[in-house]
Amino acid sequence: MEGGLQLVKKTLQSKGFPQVELSERRGAVVLEGEVQNWDDYLAAGYGAVGYGFRGVVNNITVSGLKNCFTESRPAVKDLSLDSSEFDVVIVGGGIIGCAIARELSRWDLKIALLEKEDDIAKHTSSRNNGMIHPAMAVKLGSKKHHYNLRGNRMYDQVAGELGFELEWPGSLALLTKSWQILLGPLAKRSARKKGLHGVKVFSRRKVKDLEPNIGDEQRGAFYMPESGIVAPYKVTVAYAENAIQNGARLFMNTMVQGFVMEGSRIAGVRTNRGIIQAGLVVNAAGIWSDRIAEMAGDRFFTIHPRKGVIAILDKKTRNSQKLILGRAQLNGRSHTKGGGLTPLIDGNILVGPTATETPDREDYSTSAKELQFLEENHLPLNKALKKDDFITYFAGTRACTFEEDFIVEASKYVENLVHAAGIQSPGLASAPAIAVDVTDIAVSILKKKADIKANPNFNPRRLEAPNPGKLGLEDRNRLIAANPSYGRIICRCEMVSEGEVVDAIHATLPAHSIDAIKRRARAGMGRCQGGFCTPAVLNIISREINSDITEVCKREPGSEMIVGRTKDKARAGYEN
Amino acid sequence: MKTDVMVIGAGPAGLSAALAANQGGAGVLLIERESRPGGILKQCIHDGFGIVRYNEKLSGPEYAFCDLEAVKSRNIEILKNTFVLDLKMKDSKFKLLLQNPDKGVFPVTATSLVAATGCRERTSRQVFIHGDRPAGIYSAGTAQNLINIHGYLPGRKCVVLGSGDIGMIMARRLTLEGAEVLGVYEIKSEVSGLTRNLVQCLEDFDIPLYLNSTVTKVHGARRVEGVTVAAVGPDYSPLFGTESYIPCDTLLLSVGLIPENDILEPLGLAMDTSTGGPIVDQQMMTTIPGLFSCGNATHVYDLVDHVSESGATAGSAAAGYCKKDCVQGEIEVKAGDNLLYAVPQRLVPGKDSVVYFRSARTMDNVLLQVEAGEKVLTNKKYIRLRPPEMERLVLEPLPAGLEKVVLSLKEAETDA
Repeated sequence: MEGGLQLVKKTLQSKGFPQVELSERRGAVVLEGEVQNWDDYLAAGYGAVGYGFRGVVNNITVSGLKNCFTESRPAVKDLSLDSSEFDVVIVGGGIIGCAIARELSRWDLKIALLEKEDDIAKHTSSRNNGMIHPAMAVKLGSKKHHYNLRGNRMYDQVAGELGFELEWPGSLALLTKSWQILLGPLAKRSARKKGLHGVKVFSRRKVKDLEPNIGDEQRGAFYMPESGIVAPYKVTVAYAENAIQNGARLFMNTMVQGFVMEGSRIAGVRTNRGIIQAGLVVNAAGIWSDRIAEMAGDRFFTIHPRKGVIAILDKKTRNSQKLILGRAQLNGRSHTKGGGLTPLIDGNILVGPTATETPDREDYSTSAKELQFLEENHLPLNKALKKDDFITYFAGTRACTFEEDFIVEASKYVENLVHAAGIQSPGLASAPAIAVDVTDIAVSILKKKADIKANPNFNPRRLEAPNPGKLGLEDRNRLIAANPSYGRIICRCEMVSEGEVVDAIHATLPAHSIDAIKRRARAGMGRCQGGFCTPAVLNIISREINSDITEVCKREPGSEMIVGRTKDKARAGYEN
Repeated sequence: MKTDVMVIGAGPAGLSAALAANQGGAGVLLIERESRPGGILKQCIHDGFGIVRYNEKLSGPEYAFCDLEAVKSRNIEILKNTFVLDLKMKDSKFKLLLQNPDKGVFPVTATSLVAATGCRERTSRQVFIHGDRPAGIYSAGTAQNLINIHGYLPGRKCVVLGSGDIGMIMARRLTLEGAEVLGVYEIKSEVSGLTRNLVQCLEDFDIPLYLNSTVTKVHGARRVEGVTVAAVGPDYSPLFGTESYIPCDTLLLSVGLIPENDILEPLGLAMDTSTGGPIVDQQMMTTIPGLFSCGNATHVYDLVDHVSESGATAGSAAAGYCKKDCVQGEIEVKAGDNLLYAVPQRLVPGKDSVVYFRSARTMDNVLLQVEAGEKVLTNKKYIRLRPPEMERLVLEPLPAGLEKVVLSLKEAETDA
């Protein structure tokens, strides 16, 4: 590898980073030194890719950029998990971790999933466009392509078993220049090679016929029927609940702080709730997956967050568009994925996401500039849309490596660690397939030590509460007659009944905060953004979990909604 | 179920509509989505309601009580906790699918429909406030509901964005409850609400009002920790270098109200983009025969007394429609120079009409002209007109055969 280092050195020198020091560690190239800004940090990281190393560990510091980052950490500190023993400990409750927990629960194993937040799917898994990508925008031969294609094909079955909604509206990659239509045969051949079915080239007129509101700039499109939509947080919840129903344990507010190593094995997982004995650890920590790898002494990659800002449009726009719309990305090297207009499974249209590099992994704030970008770049794809239709907007970050590929493999140096890391777009589409492979890898490692049997009680079907909105008239009336709270609508924008909120509170994976209920039952997700239902939801939570109204939170502890009662000062005065 | 007139919403507009339809001899079904009728009046415990109608300053609940007693005395059926799941038209009748906890889902056919569905508040996202989404951001109406209906205090150190009436009323209310209101920020160069609220809610309680300024960012990830405020230029964009940080735990928004017509829109009725409500004639009939709109669903009123008036007009016309005694307005009313809007937007000839309008800007010594072609039908002088203060004007019956009347405001020559 000495030669490799020389080549990297040369490249970095030519890019203007002679100060960066290089070394090799367990097959990865390690970058150290200091640069002036984040762009330089990224340029150096990308510059080190492609010289035969396993990965790039970018430890370069950026002057003036130290310890100023957002990161939520659990407030609790106890020993409730100390000395507990699990065959498998999964780090991270995003869609990857939850899907792995469910697939592992097919086996007779003691499984623990640790999530540092108060709920699952709070980061990337609830901050994306909910699209099941066709495996088109991924490089043939990459892990991304492998998992995207397989995962995409698994969704129908998974949706049937876990009971989440899934549709396949298809997508149009719009062309903006007339000559691009000449690339049609090339695109079709590429699609065939990548294993896609039904990719077609549509003329400008055909696109206009399909989508009458399409913007005028389009010059035809590539049509990909294997493009689906789901609510990504609901898929994550469905996976998690089925895992729990099959015996897995989920621990919220539990953050991994380090590992107890015994030689080349992880013996224990250090958390804010004590040390957990682990037979095997799965790293599914998303934007923090490099930190988890580092804790095990097995870091060979770097996550650099790529932020995406998303806006959601009023449901009344939904009928203005049938397919997922985006501009064709004909520049294969571009990492700034296009984004576009995605119809959502719950009836809105989503605008975005943007793609900008940021040093801050959990900074989900938005700015006027980013919104303006969405308005000017994406909104014109559908002429029926206007800025007035925005009902909310938010941001997420993608867990990107410099290699821009997924890492799904057993650790080469730690006997009982499996990585599912660097999962960015199309991670949602890939999740079912990644979970199956990680499970195979984990089980084969565990089998070296013990005989692992199938879980005799495994049920692939998730048991779930009724959804009155999806029932036929007679069934719905039977449900309301048996339990009138299903007839009492409390969220008027999304037509959510009190019964559904109560079900979410007492579900397999309980939802105890305003936002958690919003992600499960949709109360507060509509055009009034909780203006009318918030008081009702607050009262229902307080009643159902038997806690004081001042303790009910919007999200994690520290986000209490109500600070006291009226007249409490006056009352205190009388009592004295 | 079948009914002559179905009224959606038992707030002040719906209660008046139901009463008037009943008095007009029609069978009436009134539905309300909440467990108690009265609409937003229930949470308006301040006074000032009923000055026009009763020449008395009532509280919101008192005002609602009067109408509710009248509705009860005439045995009008109110279905509470009842939602409209679906609304369609078939053979010129309105086919509704309703749901409530007692009856489940059930269909109702109505000859005439009065939508008294009120309005909702513009949200923080709709005025493009940035930052994360912590707890502690409330619309003024939500805060009013929490405090006045539930007795919950939403925050102790508050900044109010927007000087709409509810915002100013809530600034006072929070102060009375012992919270600290650090200031009311208004992006425009003048207050958005009624002058009486500026005086009685802000000035009397020494709550500072900052004009030409806005909140640009919310700080805090869990609970609001502070806001950035900034002065704005003439185009309402924040001026660089004027930002300052204000520590607080709550941001209250009073940044406008939006008429709620989402359940009607699929019927394909014509809407007025300047009011946000349907186009109506002086009987409050929309462009769909038999479909009436009233109250804040038509356009946002300043005074509940006028909301009730529009409800009564709609209700009695709806009863008339059931007896085939109602024609649709064809004469177009155009809001001309210096008018923000005028309602109704259509007129039936030969009938009195009440016209409401707002000026597009603050104007002194103005002349309102109502013209039909070259002919001036009415002249009226005003000493001062402000956009937040709606004006009410009674028009004489128009002759048949007119196509259009235009309302316009002209600044009078000052008598030097």
